Amino acid sequence: MHISEGILSAPVLTAGFAGTAVLAAGTMRRLDMEEIPKISVITSVFFVASLIKVPVGPASVHLILNGLVGIVLGWRAFPAIMLGIILQAIIFGHGGVTVIGVNTLMLGGGALVAYGVWQLRHRFHLRQRELVFGALAGAAGTISSGLVLALALVTTGEAFHAIAATVLAAHIPIMLIEAAVVGACAEFLQRIKPDVLAGQQLPRQRPVADSATPPSRE
Amino acid sequence: MSDAVALDIDRYAHLESPVQRWDPRFKIATLAVLVLAIALLQTLPAAGLALVLAAFLLGLSNLPARFLTHGLGFVVVFLLPFFLVMPFSYPGAPAFELLGLPFAWEGLRLALLIFLKALAIVMISFTAFGSTRFDLSMLALQRLKCPSVVVQMLLFTYRYTFVFLGEMRRMYTSMRARGFVPGTNLATLRIYGHFVGTLLVRSFDRTDRVYKAMLSKGYRGELHSLVTFQAVPADYVKTAAGLVLAFLLLSADRAGLWVRAETGWF
Repeated sequence: MHISEGILSAPVLTAGFAGTAVLAAGTMRRLDMEEIPKISVITSVFFVASLIKVPVGPASVHLILNGLVGIVLGWRAFPAIMLGIILQAIIFGHGGVTVIGVNTLMLGGGALVAYGVWQLRHRFHLRQRELVFGALAGAAGTISSGLVLALALVTTGEAFHAIAATVLAAHIPIMLIEAAVVGACAEFLQRIKPDVLAGQQLPRQRPVADSATPPSRE
Repeated sequence: MSDAVALDIDRYAHLESPVQRWDPRFKIATLAVLVLAIALLQTLPAAGLALVLAAFLLGLSNLPARFLTHGLGFVVVFLLPFFLVMPFSYPGAPAFELLGLPFAWEGLRLALLIFLKALAIVMISFTAFGSTRFDLSMLALQRLKCPSVVVQMLLFTYRYTFVFLGEMRRMYTSMRARGFVPGTNLATLRIYGHFVGTLLVRSFDRTDRVYKAMLSKGYRGELHSLVTFQAVPADYVKTAAGLVLAFLLLSADRAGLWVRAETGWF
């Protein structure tokens, strides 16, 4: 789900770019040279995976997978999604250049929420923990993106309230699809190669001032 | 699965035209200003002029029309609901009732404005990036003070996109050969989950080799290129023309000659 060009007002577009800049700077702190090619290669996987179409009755929808980006890359999911959004704007004209900020904030923010949900799994002892929390993370990623999108539309003007509600409702079936795919994928990765998944250890208790420190993976 | 998509945005960058010859740094900076000006338009005539301008630029670049079908198709699909919802949900007094629903011309006008602006911006953006080799566009972005890390990651991501698209197609072919038929059911979604997982496992192994290969070629975390940009007088003229047009468009829009499509807008 992207928002297209030409809809949002100038303050909303500006807020999108500002929020993206702040979050990108925060999530890219202490980026190793080694991580540059790694994040890029994994981003290209997600980029092509988002071309997959899932049949829904007579129509089909594209996978979004921003929740999966969150549970694979952790904090680094945000810059990865920013790259994906920029490339989609350049290559396909999906979204567009003036909405790169809003779209990154929407999908990247969703990925961070998904990562937060994914990390909660350490507090539970279930048999199918990765399946359940992968599915929850996939659903959380989608629905929080939908909420950001609806918020962007609502703040643009009163004329957009009805369309915001329509868009949010359309996210519900997408959320179910994403939950199923991300859950299955998380369970698969846990069995085959758990290193791929972010946050395998319990998040260490850090002093508050240092809470933005990224990687819990390596 | 996925339709045949063409990922090489720069496949027509070799064509000869004033747009292709325009220095990428100047081209991207100018068209970015123009796109921002268009995004801020609030009146229908100004948005119409912007669309004419975008079509003119596209014509000048010699890019074939089918180059744009995918991008413009997306705009149409995304904005169709706006035409269906906005005229019937516009706050204020409706003009008449259509099938029992209140219909407001203002809503239709707003939807049309959005549509025209979106088309113009997508056309300009395709012209900008379609008329320059991708690596040159990225290098130009770096010269325009885009953070080097972001530019590098964009180049790597773009490059590996082709690798994984090929891999994904091969995997999908073998799935089909083993009898997989996608449907609207949980089993399909589960298989797609495993499919993406397999792609991730393969790429994860690859990231390490990519990094080592880069190190062995002297990678130090920076991007080097043998390309040097050389601006000629014509580049300055094109840029000046573009900036003047952007300014004229926005000031005509704000001068109050035309009715705004939505009065409560910023």
